[in-house]
Order: sequence, then structure tokens, then C-alpha cells
Amino acid sequence: MSQRTQENEEPRVGVFVCHCGGNISDVVDVEKVAKTISKDPRVKYATHFMFMCSDPGQNMVAEKIKELKLNRVIVAACSPKLHELTFRKVVAKSGLNPYFYEHVNIREQDSWVHSHEPEKATEKAIRLIEGAIERLTRQNPLKPGKKKTVPHALVIGGGVAGLTAALELARRDIPVTLVEKSPFLGGRVTQIDNIYPTGEDGKDLVDDLIQKVLKNDLITVRTNTEVVDASGSIGDYQVTLKITPRGVEEDVEGLDKAIEICPISVDNEFDYGTTKRKAIYKPYPKAVPNLPAIDWNTCTRCGECLKATNNKGINLNPEFKEDTIRVGAVVMATGFKPYEPLPGEYGYGEDPNVITLPQLIRIMENMDPNSKEFIYNGRKIKKIAFIHCVGSRQIEGVHTPKEGKELNTYCSRVCCSTTLWAANRLKKRFPDIHMFDLYRDIRTYQFYEDIYEEASRNNVVFVKFPDEEIPQVKIVKDDKGLFRIETTDILLRGKTVAVPADLVVLAVGIEPNPIRDLIEIFSIPYGSGGFLLEGHPKLRPVESSMEGIFLAGTAQAPMSIQETIIAATAAAGKAATILTKPEIELSPFVASVNLDKCEGTGRCVQECEYNAIELKEANGGKKAVIDPSLCAGCGACVPVCPNRAITLEGYDIDQILAQVEGMLKGVKAE
Amino acid sequence: MSETVLDKEPKILVIATHACSYPGIDNAGQGHLEYPASVFVIRVPDPVLFPVDFYLKVFEMGYDGILIASCGTDSPYKKSYEKLSKRIDEVYKAMKEKGIDISRLKLTAICTVCAEHYVKEVREMYEKLKAMKAQAS
Repeated sequence: MSQRTQENEEPRVGVFVCHCGGNISDVVDVEKVAKTISKDPRVKYATHFMFMCSDPGQNMVAEKIKELKLNRVIVAACSPKLHELTFRKVVAKSGLNPYFYEHVNIREQDSWVHSHEPEKATEKAIRLIEGAIERLTRQNPLKPGKKKTVPHALVIGGGVAGLTAALELARRDIPVTLVEKSPFLGGRVTQIDNIYPTGEDGKDLVDDLIQKVLKNDLITVRTNTEVVDASGSIGDYQVTLKITPRGVEEDVEGLDKAIEICPISVDNEFDYGTTKRKAIYKPYPKAVPNLPAIDWNTCTRCGECLKATNNKGINLNPEFKEDTIRVGAVVMATGFKPYEPLPGEYGYGEDPNVITLPQLIRIMENMDPNSKEFIYNGRKIKKIAFIHCVGSRQIEGVHTPKEGKELNTYCSRVCCSTTLWAANRLKKRFPDIHMFDLYRDIRTYQFYEDIYEEASRNNVVFVKFPDEEIPQVKIVKDDKGLFRIETTDILLRGKTVAVPADLVVLAVGIEPNPIRDLIEIFSIPYGSGGFLLEGHPKLRPVESSMEGIFLAGTAQAPMSIQETIIAATAAAGKAATILTKPEIELSPFVASVNLDKCEGTGRCVQECEYNAIELKEANGGKKAVIDPSLCAGCGACVPVCPNRAITLEGYDIDQILAQVEGMLKGVKAE
Repeated sequence: MSETVLDKEPKILVIATHACSYPGIDNAGQGHLEYPASVFVIRVPDPVLFPVDFYLKVFEMGYDGILIASCGTDSPYKKSYEKLSKRIDEVYKAMKEKGIDISRLKLTAICTVCAEHYVKEVREMYEKLKAMKAQAS
């Protein structure tokens, strides 16, 4: 058991009930709550206040602790997820153990859910506080342990987010290992040849970052590398990496020829399948690292490439290796992939002239720069129809989810601007082209409104279709075009219109890269659409609630390049706050053993999935000893002990029972 | 002492988790979804913490129902859901031995955004317990 100091004093509880503007007090009779709770003899002070989280609110708590020698504090307010920490700090500053504090949730779990039953909501608040008093007056002062931090960061993902995060960490003198699953750095941005507003090529933009990363001695870049396992926790993770050999080991003469003569031809993912590549390949001439790589999934090891290099530089039977590194924090920069439409969705897969927006962007880059006409699949493209919100903002009953997946109900945020930016570029290059833009809503948010205005000036015809009516793409091959798209036009008072097109471009949304394995390895919470979930949407936007894990970029949500860089910079800054400190405070909520009760049965040792418990000689016998830096705080060991010798600190079963009983009984008004 | 508005209501103890259901229950509040006021939530890292007798004591105390809002298989703790499920089977066995209606305890999984699912679960349990109470009296 923890040392006993403050709890030897008689409990003197202070209760502070928050109005939260009116969020609470419009429903809960806060005055009655404070008055009733003050009838509990352990309560030495009870009051209510407009905003407890404000400076005057916090100061009041500190002053009352001092003035009335309070030694236990309860604030009944919003969810503890928001302000538990705020008040723990106030309590600690006032000289009390920070865990002599209970935060009672009377907003999210009371006033907001019982707004039509104010009397019941008021009584519930009293009962919840009474429960907290019962628990708090039995609480031990908790003392968190400490462990040494490994001052090294792991960044997963070598795209614009990962590169930025690595640079920002190195700028703070923190060594970084950057791992990228594919053989090349740069990520999705390299697939965009023209970026708003400067028209810069994404490859150049990223190359600038890549060169800075490569020049930085503190950053170790490992391409073709995946994280396959990890143990440990914030401050000290042991991470196992699997390294896929590149196949091409040296820059020798004849590599270009080797690519040329490779007999294997597969869909080129860099061009989203609009071109082919070989089994030995490089996505684009300046790709980094600049050596070609071998795609082991399709290479047959026929040896043709070796003929071109005189049997040099290429190893077709290399070893797949594993390596272990120790890091103190992990930045998740695993990025996105564009939504792949279902077969037949808007005619996708039924006719090759139904393409996605990312495919259009690749086609535009790969086009003959001198061509005066837009020729695709041997057809002169005169009319293009764009369809928005494909794979985004999906509605139940209207859209079909992918097998085993939920609907993508979110907005992908960047597709509107990207679509119109592409339309404007096409118009500039092929002034005779006609374009139709079929949308549900258009959001060219931030400073991108001028893209929309330019598209309007370019005579792009905007057709607004209803949310629940999907435009029907029909292959007609008549004199007007290859397709006829029938849709309702809201702006024409709901008339049905037929839009002709030679090319249908689907503005597909953003999905997170499939990283289920990483989510499991690091136990990272994720939310709607499979995006990684931040600790709090406003207060902790780049931290996972799994401590030591930070979120950078589109792994978390659809973002523009600019937003991705902001997020990555913030994530690196947050990670640095841990990595620049020599020690990390451990969670105080870990299991502890009462050595007097422990008989060394070893049941807890078997039950612990984290190898945190060992039987050691102590107190004249074998006793269970817990390493707090390994304990995850799950409590699985607690119920298996036949002697009830283990307590999960902060979650003592008897204390919880006292709380539960307190909530049941409450305090009667008279 | 006079009777209060919640005295007669069936009382439900909800065991919520830090990582999943507690934020999920908060989410119901953010959405201003309504559910009965006699629902009381406690927050733990994982319900795997509780031994069988904890549940029995809660019933003895006078709670009508217990809803375990676990993380399900999304639990951040290794194998905890497996262990929890086994434990709850044991609790059911013990409840049968003591003649406690086993529908008074339910193990469910509530995610961070499962607000509607949570409200459905507590409402269902509340109605069931209310009917049970009416029958008993």
C-alpha cells in the first residue's frame, strides 16, 4: 500500500458545482445540489459557480483549499475528459496529492441527456457527487513512478507528413528513424504534378523535403521497411522492423536497360493503373532513393535483368531481415489512399472512359506536352463530366458500403477544390473542351474560392443533384458523346437533365491507408472511416489517447497538403515534449501488491499479458513483484489473486463499491 | 425522509471504459440524446478488473441492473475481452445459484462514437427492469 500521509487527517471535502454557462444550470438546480451535498458531514464547503474552469473558478478552488484546509476536492462539471487534468493541477499546486481529486460528470452524462427531467437530473447530480465523496475519502495518495525516456523517435510513413515530422524532430536534436513501407519516399504528393496555388510539381515540393531529410545526420531513413511488432509503452518502445530487400544493391550500368527488358508487366500503382510498369521499376526518373526496386510479388526471378547489368548490382535471392529499435515516441504518418469505386459505381469498370480524379491527374501528367487535343483511349475528349462525392458523404440506403466496411459518411474535404483545379487546368490547355460538374454541395474552403470562381468563368456547367439521387451514367455512344448521364438538377427546379460526356471523372474521396496491423500493434484508437482518433478534437488534436503515439496528416482525417504539414509539425512538437525530458512520469494507475497478503501463488504472473509481474524472494518468501513501467494498468491480475493481495491503484475494488453504494443512497434533501 | 424522484426508478450501474465507452457515453450527451436518469456510470480502464463477487455485491446493494459497456474486441489491453467474457459467464452461473434473474446483467461493447447504440442498450435494460419491478410489486 502507498504511504499514508494526508489521508491520516480527517477528510475535509470541498465540492464545487459548475453552471457551465447554463449548459448545466439550465437543467440541474445547482444551488440545491450544493446545499444538499453540504449536509454530508465530511463536506466542509460546497458552492456553485458560473464557470469552474475559468481562472476565477480555479483560483476559488485554490483559495478554499488554503482557507478551509480542505484535503479532498470534487468539481462537478463537464466530462473529466475535458477538465480532470486542469483541476488535478490546481489541487497539486495547492499542496495536495493530485489524486485527492474527483471530477464528476454532470454535463455530458446528466444535464445534456436529461434536459426534460430537471428534477431527476438534479437528484442524479447529488447522487453522483455523494458517490465521489465515498470514493475520495477512501482514496490513497497516489505517487507515480518514473522511467528513463529513450530519446529517439519513430516516424512511420515517408510521405509529406512523415518527412516533415522527421525534420521537425531533428531540428530539436532528437534522433529519428523514418520508416517507409514502399521502396520510395515522397508518398501521394509525388503523384500530383501541379499543386494549387503555385502550380508546383508535387515531386519537386517533396524532393526539397527529402533532400533535407537525407542530409540530416540525426535522421535514419529506412525504405522498404515495415513495423511488424512492438512492446513497451510511452518513453520506451521496442519496435521490430521487417526489411524487404530492394533487390537492386548498387548503382551499376545497365539498370535502365534492365527495366526495359524485364518481361513482367503489371498495373502501375503510381499512375493508378492507367499505365503499366515492370517488376523492376522506379515510379519516376527522380524518385528517391534513385535505385530501382524489385517488386517481389510479381518478379519471377527469371534473371533477364541481370543480363543487362552484366550480372552486377542486382541480387534476386536476397535475405529478408528483421531488426529491433528502441524509441520513446511514435509518429503515425501512414497517409491515405483514394477511394476505389465499386465495380459498376457510376459505370466504373464497365467502360475505360469512366476514371477517377487521381487517374485523371496522372493521365494529364503523362500526356504528350505538345498535343493540342485531349486523346484518351484513342478517343478525342470533347466533353468531360465530373461527379463529386464518390465514396464520401455516403448515405445509408442510397450508397453501398464495401464488403466488410461501413459507409464513408465523412466529407473528404479536398476533392471539390482538386476537381475544379483540374478542370481549370484542362480548360487552359484545351480551350474547346466542355465541362460539366455534377455535385451535391461544393466546398472549396479556405482560400480556394478563387478556383470555383475561375471554373465558373471557364463556363464549367454546374449541375446540383439531390443527396439521395445518384446520377445514372449510361453508355450510349451517340453523336453527342460516349456517355449520357441522367440526373435531377435542383437548380433547374428538379428537372431531369441529360449530360453528355466522352469522359466521366469520379471525384473520389480519401480513405486511410489500411493499417489494421499497426493499430493492433500499438493499440491506437480509431474512429469513423478507420481514421486514427485524436485524444480530443479540440484540446488534443495531434495526440492519440494512447500515450506516446502522435498523429500526423491524412492517417487521422482528410487534409490538404498545407494542413498535413501543420499537423505533422504539431505532432513532432508534441512528441518532442516527451523525448526532450530525461525521465517520464509513469501512470500512477498501476497494480501494486500487498506483500503481507501475497502468498506467491503466481496466478497473477500467468494472467499478466505484459510480463510485468515476477515472483521474487521478498519478506521471507516468494512474492509477486510488479514492474510499474511494464504494467499497462488493465487490472486483469486483480480478480485472479485468491488472497486479494493486488490493487489497481486508483481503482481499489472496495473504494469503487463505496462509490457505487454512495450513488445508490445519495443524500436526502431533508 | 421523503421519497425522491429517483427512489422508485430501476437503478442501472454502467461500467464504462476510459478508451471506448466512456467517450461513447459522453458522445450521447454531446448529441443531447435522452435516456433514463437512474443510470449511473463508473469509469475504469477495463471491466476485467472486477471479480465475480463485485457484481453480486452490487446487486445485493440494491441495483436493479448492471450494464458492462466494454471495449469489446477493441480493448486496448491484450486478451482482456476474452478474459472478461469468461468472467461474466461465471457471474451468470453465480447469479443463477443465487436466484438472481440473469437478464439483470448484460455485457456489451460501446465504441467512442456508439452513442445511439448505448442509448438503445440502457433504454432496453431500463424498460425490462421497470417491467420486472412492476411485476414484483
